[in-house]
Amino acid sequence: MQDKAVIEVNHLNKKFGENTILKDINGTVKSGQVICVIGPSGAGKSTFLRCLNLLEKPTSGEVKFDGTDLTHVDGKQLLDLRERMGMVFQSFNLFPNMTVLKNLMLAPMRVKHMTEDEAKKTAMHLLDRVGLQSKAEAYPSSLSGGQQQRVAIARALAMNPEVMLFDEPTSALDPEMVGEVLEVMQELANEGMTMVVVTHEMGFAKSVANQVWFMADGYILEKSSPSEMFDNPQNERAKDFIGKIIEAK
Amino acid sequence: MKKLKAIIQMMLVFVTLLTVSAIQTNSASAADNSLQRVKQRGELIMVTSPDYPPYEFQVNKGGKSRIVGMDIDVAKKVAKDLGVKLVIKSMNFDSLLVAIQTGKADMAIGGINPTNERRQSVDFSDIYYSGGQSFLINSKDVNKYKSVKNLRGGKIGAQTGTLQYGLAKKRIPGATVKGMDKSTDLVLALKTNKIDALGIEKPSAEAYVKNDPSLKMIPSGYHLNKNDIGAAIAFKKGSTSLVNAVNKSIVQIKKKHLTDKYLASAGKYMKVNTVNTSMFHYWKYFASGVEYTILISLVSTFFGVLIGVVLALMRFSRQRWLRGLAISYTEFIRGTPLMVQVMFVYFGIGVIINIPALISGMIAVSLNSGAYVAEIIRGGINSVGKGQTEAAESLGLTKGDMMRYVILPQAFKNIWPALGNEFISLIKESSIVSIIGVTDLIYQLNIVRADTYRGVMPIFVAMVLYFLMTFLLTRLLNHYEGKMKHAG
Repeated sequence: MQDKAVIEVNHLNKKFGENTILKDINGTVKSGQVICVIGPSGAGKSTFLRCLNLLEKPTSGEVKFDGTDLTHVDGKQLLDLRERMGMVFQSFNLFPNMTVLKNLMLAPMRVKHMTEDEAKKTAMHLLDRVGLQSKAEAYPSSLSGGQQQRVAIARALAMNPEVMLFDEPTSALDPEMVGEVLEVMQELANEGMTMVVVTHEMGFAKSVANQVWFMADGYILEKSSPSEMFDNPQNERAKDFIGKIIEAK
Repeated sequence: MKKLKAIIQMMLVFVTLLTVSAIQTNSASAADNSLQRVKQRGELIMVTSPDYPPYEFQVNKGGKSRIVGMDIDVAKKVAKDLGVKLVIKSMNFDSLLVAIQTGKADMAIGGINPTNERRQSVDFSDIYYSGGQSFLINSKDVNKYKSVKNLRGGKIGAQTGTLQYGLAKKRIPGATVKGMDKSTDLVLALKTNKIDALGIEKPSAEAYVKNDPSLKMIPSGYHLNKNDIGAAIAFKKGSTSLVNAVNKSIVQIKKKHLTDKYLASAGKYMKVNTVNTSMFHYWKYFASGVEYTILISLVSTFFGVLIGVVLALMRFSRQRWLRGLAISYTEFIRGTPLMVQVMFVYFGIGVIINIPALISGMIAVSLNSGAYVAEIIRGGINSVGKGQTEAAESLGLTKGDMMRYVILPQAFKNIWPALGNEFISLIKESSIVSIIGVTDLIYQLNIVRADTYRGVMPIFVAMVLYFLMTFLLTRLLNHYEGKMKHAG
């Protein structure tokens, strides 16, 4: 199982008008791996992550999920593949017009055609896992940022995805709430979930990731194990970036 | 630039379609089967503008509203002679000839003078009554305006589209002619000194003088041929067989001097009519007006929102032609007055499929409201953050589900106050349907005015009623707004 490639990216390029954001990105995410993507702002990390489930359409190159090139499928087929990838956003993006419980039940019922009872059971179980069962009937606006992000993770998990994509999940949180979200993510990793995490939390990357990818100026400049990346980076830009972070700490 | 070009192309297609359907309406009168059609149907449909006593006016008899008058008796006689039932439709005088040209009715009657200009667009029966022209003035001005000569340079009122209007313009040197739709409005204008004199047919003038001591009549002094003073029945061009049949009745009417009898009975109605002019006496009129206004508003709101949602979704479609169609529709509807749209649906589209006035009014108001609602909804959809779309997409929701469960509920919450505004203006704007004879509040208001010879009071009552309706609606909308706020 460990060796099966879940996501394969080949020669991925992305342009916004004249600006090239991603340049010849290559990489493989294997089943059960946790990849942390780090780098300075403007490096193209978020765009890269959003290309993985085609929220952004790549300008050229391949994004293969479970062997299928996503850049060449459309409509129903794309939706089918997307539901197998969960995504968690920096700004949570919970649906404010629904209760927490309904947020978790909507996609399983509409996309997976679960019955209401089934969906509710799954949802309550997941809320329990992120420690928020008591908030099932609350509306998102009454929750703290950390609670909202935990609900968002549970919502993505409700679709029983094979991969979870995290786009700076703790960047919008007050410092005291970062811990509770990282804790949930750590548990998820321990259970063997395949994860791609764009993050500035170096501590998390160091302790949880199997591999750390360093991005700058639209390139992936280095891929190494956490210990190598943080103790002995090879690339000059990576060295500089990590040096600055350690200094700041 | 390309986008603009596409939009202009769409608009051209749209306008061309409308024009084609309009032209087709003019070439539909080939063979004359007018008489045969009436007989087959067993009904003779006439249109009239019942605000012109004693020719035709509305009375409240035993709580029921009826159109009576000399013209109605003439029409009844004609229908009886043809052996068919008479069906009376009412609308503005302006629209009478249009109504027969577009086949909404078999004949138009309403003290219509068969002038040469009119003969070019419609056929006329023989003249059944010669009234003559006169002017109404205020009693206090009796010494000021002894004859028509004194009216030179003055302000003269006349019903728009009538002979009196044209005559006053041509024959009274230096006069300013003010046209209005309703003779009741004109009488009010006279009494409030907005005009100095009112050009009106003699029998009508006599009726007003009899019922209102503050008014006096002076002869017009016009030298006119019989076509300019006589009244005749108008038919669609080419209805020779029907005209000939009707003329047979008119010969009898003239021989037996039946119009004298008809006028006398009309006069009796008018006396009955002025006994009780309190607004309370007419509550049934107002109630029925309110009922229709609410009905039209409700139906139009429902379909308006439906059309609005569809148009708004079309604007977000991936298909270019769908987007173009929605944009053209919205631009076109917003760029033309509701009044014109109402008349177009009733008279224009009505030639191809005959749609009753009430339905026509609802269709026009719904189509109109849809364009405005579409823009409001589009704004609402744009107001929902991009993150919501991305979250829904990442969960694998289809575009339809995303709109239905995520985007539209949030959009509606954001636009609720703007939608409320639209509903309120809909109640008020629906009043325009009265021009095609839909019996809404405005229509009833005009009838009560014609009936009671009271100009201002019915307007005031209608104003209060409109306010009550919009006020209650505002409360209702606020209630729901509060509820939605509660839900996140």
